Amino acid sequence: MAIAKAERLMNLALCLLGTRRPLSKRELRDSIEAYVEASGPGRGAGGSDDSFNRMFERDKDDLRELGLVIETVESLDGEIGYLARRDSNRLPPITLDAEEAAALGLAAKVWQQARLAGAASGALQKLRAAGLLEDVDPFEAHGALEPRIPVHEAAFEPLMLACRDRRPVAFDYRKANAARPETRHVEPWALECWRGHWYLAGFDRDRGAERVFRLSRITGKVRSRGAAFTAPVPDVVTVRETVASWAGEIADRTARIRLRSGAGYPLRAKAGAVRELGDGWDELEIPYGHGLDAWLVEFGPDVVVLEPAELRADVVDRLRAVAKG
Amino acid sequence: MAGKPVRPVNAIDQTRRMLSLVTYLRERPGARIEDVARAFGITEDELVSDLDVLPMCGTSFRGGDLLDIDTDGERIWWHNPAALGADAAEPLRLAADEATALLVAARAVATLPGLRESDRQALLRATAKVETAAGEAAGASSRLSVTFESEGGVFADVDRAISERRRLWIRYYSPARDEVTEREIDPIRLVSVGHTYVEAWCRRSEARRTFRLDRVAEIKILDEPSAPPEVELRDLSEALVQPAAEDPEVVVEVGPGGRWVAEYYPHDSADELPDGGLRITLRTPDPASLRRLALRLGRDGRIVAPRELADSARRAAHEALAAYDGVDAEDTAGGGQTERPGPAAGGRAVHDGPDGRYDRQEQGL
Repeated sequence: MAIAKAERLMNLALCLLGTRRPLSKRELRDSIEAYVEASGPGRGAGGSDDSFNRMFERDKDDLRELGLVIETVESLDGEIGYLARRDSNRLPPITLDAEEAAALGLAAKVWQQARLAGAASGALQKLRAAGLLEDVDPFEAHGALEPRIPVHEAAFEPLMLACRDRRPVAFDYRKANAARPETRHVEPWALECWRGHWYLAGFDRDRGAERVFRLSRITGKVRSRGAAFTAPVPDVVTVRETVASWAGEIADRTARIRLRSGAGYPLRAKAGAVRELGDGWDELEIPYGHGLDAWLVEFGPDVVVLEPAELRADVVDRLRAVAKG
Repeated sequence: MAGKPVRPVNAIDQTRRMLSLVTYLRERPGARIEDVARAFGITEDELVSDLDVLPMCGTSFRGGDLLDIDTDGERIWWHNPAALGADAAEPLRLAADEATALLVAARAVATLPGLRESDRQALLRATAKVETAAGEAAGASSRLSVTFESEGGVFADVDRAISERRRLWIRYYSPARDEVTEREIDPIRLVSVGHTYVEAWCRRSEARRTFRLDRVAEIKILDEPSAPPEVELRDLSEALVQPAAEDPEVVVEVGPGGRWVAEYYPHDSADELPDGGLRITLRTPDPASLRRLALRLGRDGRIVAPRELADSARRAAHEALAAYDGVDAEDTAGGGQTERPGPAAGGRAVHDGPDGRYDRQEQGL
């Protein structure tokens, strides 16, 4: 039976951490049973060097992924050696009081995404191994508060890594009203979650400008592109302002509507002024931003738009579409 | 147990955990399985599977310096701790993903309006310390951010009621019926998933209910003690409301502009249509509550079934049009412009309106 990957990674980590001088690839191959096994009987004759080399490169990447700093050193006779120096891998001194430890325990439970949930647990385990968090149980529930960061979008993980590593990507994206998706080439800057949905901000190479994408509209796979970023990354990326304006949160005008008494509580909550008309109707002034027409139509015969005329026309048009069936 | 981190079997996570275990066990000869599992936030089975792997690990399988770690099922013994040099078992620095996971989450929770100031301060202090300890690895955390929405005043009252075990009186808005009702609730917990909700025992319906804080029109902490019955806390990570199998079926056909429906409503199926639209089948205990959706969709979609729902939306539209002077429901020639050019990156439907995924909150679970 093949030796489990975790065992192989653990052995490689212990070898690299335990050595004081760089170890050559050959030394590592001879020290780790899984590599001996992978190299097969033809080892040394070059027969299965390829499979060992591929495995070794992947394993190093995996260990770097979990935080190990592995140095590559070339010796005088040109041989490459590897080691993980203590100074660069040791957790710096850190102290946490009980409240801070509990706060991190709460934070570590927030991710609903496997990779980040695993990373958060791993971070707490490292702090635990360092002798921190002794007095509290950070994995236990923190009072009655349960924040959760939902991640349902398949595009999240590849985009997170691309943002982290500053790698350009390409993906198929279906705009809100488009019948077909279109391929977009993007230098990804940052991901932001608002109201439970993830958005990407980045530089759209085809349009030569900053764009915000909603992850749920990405269809198919996110592909990595090799080259470096071509546009400067801004210091502050503001996804939420853009999304809020789509959502009609940013209203620059005011609308006047009639609302049936007792109906439409959320409209009343947003209203600047409410006037009782006495005939079973109230008159309201409400902020008018993108999407207000669609929202008002939801209230059916309980809302009548008075002005502006443009909003009135939009609402009538929508109502006609429904009336026609 | 609800609230445990999602943790699939994964070689990287297991390796990371075993490296920390080695450090931890070295200092604690005879540590109890139960205690170690709790300290690491893992099950005893997971710990035992790690203990099965560790004796196969060392700095060389040839030199006989494999870790001699075993367990009698209760305690863990490491017979040759010298197999690893003291410095090879030191605690490891945080990786970029580890720092990101902790920092982004801590910053997000700290933004919750209504959070107790002492909790917020603890989060901010911890964040600063982790940033310092992580060094460069903390940099990547700036590429992710999360905002939780909550009504600060309502949140603070619910939080206080939970800690003081007191009953709450609320006026609550139900979008499905467009009405505000009064009720008394015994709060159980606060859950933030984008929006923030309070899960509570509703005294009016004698059932568990979930209320979205921004739909609470008014709130008062009562003097009566809160006494919610013991209920099993469910994992709320997927969706707060899952339709039941016996709920009536609703079929909606939408054009490309109505695809958001599939993102907001839990559904059984969403089949692609030739025009780039979707045929969506979903279930709800109260199809009449979807009249709002039918009205909102306009020309972007229509209810296919049940017929009564489609009819009721049509009637509502006719009735609404009657209030507009000189507007004829049948006259489509003069129709206004509805196709507002979308924003360049294309987006809508993040409005609170279509957030129907949670519209059933007040109907119970």
